[in-house]
Amino acid sequence: MSFDILFNQFMSGIARASLLFLVASGLSLTFGVLRVLNFAHGSLYMLGAFVTYSIWKGLLIPVVGFYIATFLAALVMGGIGIIIEFFLLRRLYARGWPEQLLVTYALVLIITDLVKLGWGGEFLSIPRPVPFKGAVSLFGFPFPSYNFFVILLGLALVIFLWWLVYRTRIGDIIRAAAHDREMVAALGIPIPWLFTWIFVLGAMIAGLSGGVAGPYGAIALGMDIEIIVECFAVVVIGGMGSLPGTLLGSFIVGQVYAFGIMFKPELALAFIFMVMAAVLIIRPWGIFGRPER
Amino acid sequence: MKRIAVLITIVFVLSLLVVPMVMAQAKPTPAKEPAKAPAQAKPVAKPAAPKEPIKLGAIYCFAGPCYMYSESAINGIRIAADEINAKGGIMGRKLDVIVRDTEMKVDVGAREVKDLILREKVNFLEGPCSSGVGLAMQVVHSEYKVIRVTTMANTEGQVVDKFTPYIVQIVPNTYMEAKAATRYLHKKVPTAKKFATINPDYEFGRREFAAFKEEITKLVPDAEILYEAWPKPGEKDFTAFITAIMAKKPDAVHSSLFGGDLVAFTKQAAPYEFFKTPFIALYDLPVLLALGPDAPEGTFGFGRGCFFMDPNPKMLEFVDKYKKVRGAYPDSWAVQAYDGVYLLKAAVEKAKTSETEAVIKAMEGISIDSLRGRFTIRPLDHMGSVPCYQGTIAKDPAYPFKIWKDISRVPGDQVWRSEESVREVWKKTGVVR
Repeated sequence: MSFDILFNQFMSGIARASLLFLVASGLSLTFGVLRVLNFAHGSLYMLGAFVTYSIWKGLLIPVVGFYIATFLAALVMGGIGIIIEFFLLRRLYARGWPEQLLVTYALVLIITDLVKLGWGGEFLSIPRPVPFKGAVSLFGFPFPSYNFFVILLGLALVIFLWWLVYRTRIGDIIRAAAHDREMVAALGIPIPWLFTWIFVLGAMIAGLSGGVAGPYGAIALGMDIEIIVECFAVVVIGGMGSLPGTLLGSFIVGQVYAFGIMFKPELALAFIFMVMAAVLIIRPWGIFGRPER
Repeated sequence: MKRIAVLITIVFVLSLLVVPMVMAQAKPTPAKEPAKAPAQAKPVAKPAAPKEPIKLGAIYCFAGPCYMYSESAINGIRIAADEINAKGGIMGRKLDVIVRDTEMKVDVGAREVKDLILREKVNFLEGPCSSGVGLAMQVVHSEYKVIRVTTMANTEGQVVDKFTPYIVQIVPNTYMEAKAATRYLHKKVPTAKKFATINPDYEFGRREFAAFKEEITKLVPDAEILYEAWPKPGEKDFTAFITAIMAKKPDAVHSSLFGGDLVAFTKQAAPYEFFKTPFIALYDLPVLLALGPDAPEGTFGFGRGCFFMDPNPKMLEFVDKYKKVRGAYPDSWAVQAYDGVYLLKAAVEKAKTSETEAVIKAMEGISIDSLRGRFTIRPLDHMGSVPCYQGTIAKDPAYPFKIWKDISRVPGDQVWRSEESVREVWKKTGVVR
């Protein structure tokens, strides 16, 4: 097994990790602040992908059409995020986890049926956009340039979220609210609106990653559940609500899967959940998480 | 701060209003109506027959990857039923279609089948999409002695391992399909000795792999399978599988990936120049439509019979009709479901009754002229000698999407499991016949 083959497999793992990070970061962000486990996050991602497709198809602008469509889809998902937060989630913060899970799961079913109504459930595809159509050469091996785009976008999102959470006044409030929301409310900060905006940000990230997933693979029913299961593995390993944790979790899941496929393909998926089980036993709150109070 | 927040809210709300308008123009195909689940078929011209209608329970899986295929099947069934009813029904009896949804779940499928039989009192069943659901259903309708024609779920388990007289299969089963595809791959690359495979990790994929392995060992005695990839159904990212396969440098790759998974795989594999290696998979109409310009020319595909695979006059007539009603090209799933209705009609007319045992007797050995040419139901295991199709992806100026060239049509009786082999399996699984 030569170095270049291993390196190539490593890069496959990185590409997978980037897409996972894009989706999981939104899930982790909403959980970290709102303390709501949003089961429907994957559904927002799926809806984002379908909306991106339709806008892209409707715009018919070559080259930049896809980027505009993805951006608009993220805005649309933000709008849907406002509705969901204002009419549903807001009423659930004080309730227990079982109710939150039930309601967000109901959303999964509703969004699935909305997609069936709107798009008829066929699988769709967006061709890879210019200039990320082909491949670049890495140690003599081709590496799809669109994967680089996804990796760069993942990095940009890390930097943006880090800047937002640790370097701005809003970030201070977010971190304070995650720590003790009553105290922050007592200081005169409108917690309900803060929560709405956090949820909207999460929904926009879901929409953005859905848009990016269009050229990456296929847009199809069932992509919501497929991704949310892996995202849960990511946030459980990395630690719920932790940005560095999500980054590390995505990296671990991506690499374990890539090398699992290479050496023991029939067990590749099982390896991920073995790692997850191990983390749950040794450090139930995840590598970078903090124990529930 | 507050003003900015209000402004952003307005932008969001506006984006919600504007985007549906853009999307309305962008409807991919016209006249795409979501499946009306438990709705009745519309009778076109009601014959003045007071006789009791014949009821057909169409039970498919309106979920996940099966949704679109199931919708196509229902379209095919409705077109067939409308045609039949317009001509006076079956022996003067109207054909009623009752649609049910299994949600692609084994337990729901079993429950709905029971309900169709006990409450709706259906005479016959057609469906489902998922092989796993089909196997679960078979236990129920066999117990109640109702015939099911399977036009889509194609695991060999239904007619071989778990055979009962109440099943008829008119879709090439996993064994026939993979065997025929393997022969085509061998014919195209006769020198290939080292193979890799990539199959979805469930009933269907495992059976296709087993049949490929059996056939390639017969064709190339020193064949070697270097690597088996088993992605889960619905996998979104095949990159790691692709690099792992390419690291082994196989001469050719066999696959039974289909639908959205195959679309994702193809787009992710192309930048790696994967398609320089001969590759065969289920590149049928919906996949070629979705891929558009991304469909890899020169790569091999197999399929179950749509217009470009078998452009006979009967098929082309059906295409025109389907396009008029649905506004799109029919895929093989619609073709097979349509054939299923006409098979039932032929069997009932031969038996001169809709009574189950008589229809089974009539079904055994019956031949019908279908959209895919003439096929016969083998009396032993109720497998139809339906053709398997293979081809090479190519451009055609007549269509806005890529289709196949070098098409091979393998009649089912050339690739199906021999009767002795079927009996041998039955000895193991305890089927007595």
